Amino acid sequence: MNTTPDELTLARWLDDDLDGAELEAMEAWAAKHPEQLAAREESRRWRGWITTAVPAEIEPPYAEFFNHRIARAIRANSTSNATPALATPARTPWRHFFIPLTACAGMVIAFLLGARIQSSHPEIDVAGAPRAIPVDLLPYTPDLDVEAEYFKSPGAAAMVIVLNGVGAIPDSLELIQTASVSQEEDEERPMASAPQNPQSSGS
Amino acid sequence: MTDGPDDDLAWVSRAQQGDARAYDVLVTRHRAKIHAMIRNLIHNETDAWDLSQEVFIKAWSALPRFESKARFSTWLYRIAHNTVYDWTRKRRIEAVDELDDGLLDRERIDPASLTTPSGGETPDQQLSNSELRRKISAALAKLSPEHREAVLLKDVQGLAYKEIAEVMSCSIGTVMSRLFYARQKLQTLLKDEYDTR
Repeated sequence: MNTTPDELTLARWLDDDLDGAELEAMEAWAAKHPEQLAAREESRRWRGWITTAVPAEIEPPYAEFFNHRIARAIRANSTSNATPALATPARTPWRHFFIPLTACAGMVIAFLLGARIQSSHPEIDVAGAPRAIPVDLLPYTPDLDVEAEYFKSPGAAAMVIVLNGVGAIPDSLELIQTASVSQEEDEERPMASAPQNPQSSGS
Repeated sequence: MTDGPDDDLAWVSRAQQGDARAYDVLVTRHRAKIHAMIRNLIHNETDAWDLSQEVFIKAWSALPRFESKARFSTWLYRIAHNTVYDWTRKRRIEAVDELDDGLLDRERIDPASLTTPSGGETPDQQLSNSELRRKISAALAKLSPEHREAVLLKDVQGLAYKEIAEVMSCSIGTVMSRLFYARQKLQTLLKDEYDTR
């Protein structure tokens, strides 16, 4: 490059923003302009100085919880986004005719299905308890080394959560002091799980 | 798959097909930069945490429209730019009070608890006694939002002029101009500190 570069090219070269043929041409030109080489060094020093004080990366506090909340919001959004599409009816004159007809048909189908389920699976309907609503759980484990999986068995009315990677519970840990209180103890000490009142315990 | 940013596109491709785990990898890979950028722009940790999440949620929704012409990170910066500007506009209108940064204070959580979320040290903790950091932050705060963002994207995040132009929706010439005036003002404000570096 024999001619003086334009302002933008010079600025980009000073900021190490050029590559390829543009960079080669500028380097050839700058070799004859030591003041520009010095200016580039100054530009590099400035950027280095700023980055020592202003970090380019800052992990968000509670990073795994950060990810978890994003995942949860995405799942919620995808569920709610599906609803409007289903709920938006076609605006036709036939709508007023079809809506009552569809509602009646739906009620009849629901009644028939209900009667069939009750007759074929009586053991599931225990004491009139409401049927479980399927919930898609997303287990959150704050400890990255722990993985959680859950298995749900509607037939057994049970859900099992498996935690892989939890450290062994030391023998010295007395669970009764942390979480579990037996029925007998509850009866003997009605306030066992409540905080002790220093005044009443002293009397 | 390798861990470098060069294979973002492989993860992006999987995420575009609805693979939430692949998207989680992308979030993990880019959250520190996006969070830093937003925090340096708005100087509020609590809001930066929320806005950074908003960026990734919006990015997920927009993922089907992402084309591999730009780097995934540049695209995220673009979404972060829009998110912060929307938030700033809304905040100006509503004149909301400052949120309590203490909400994220780790000292409020029992450190002995097995369920205590683990978090790396924040730069505020690392540089809590840094007078230089405070002065640079104060100087950055005196810049216009456009000048501050240009400096952060170039001098801190290391984006190319073309990428900054894409993020800020302006010409490369405007990027050059903003950088020139922003640095000039910063160097004036920080003259004593910079000379004694």
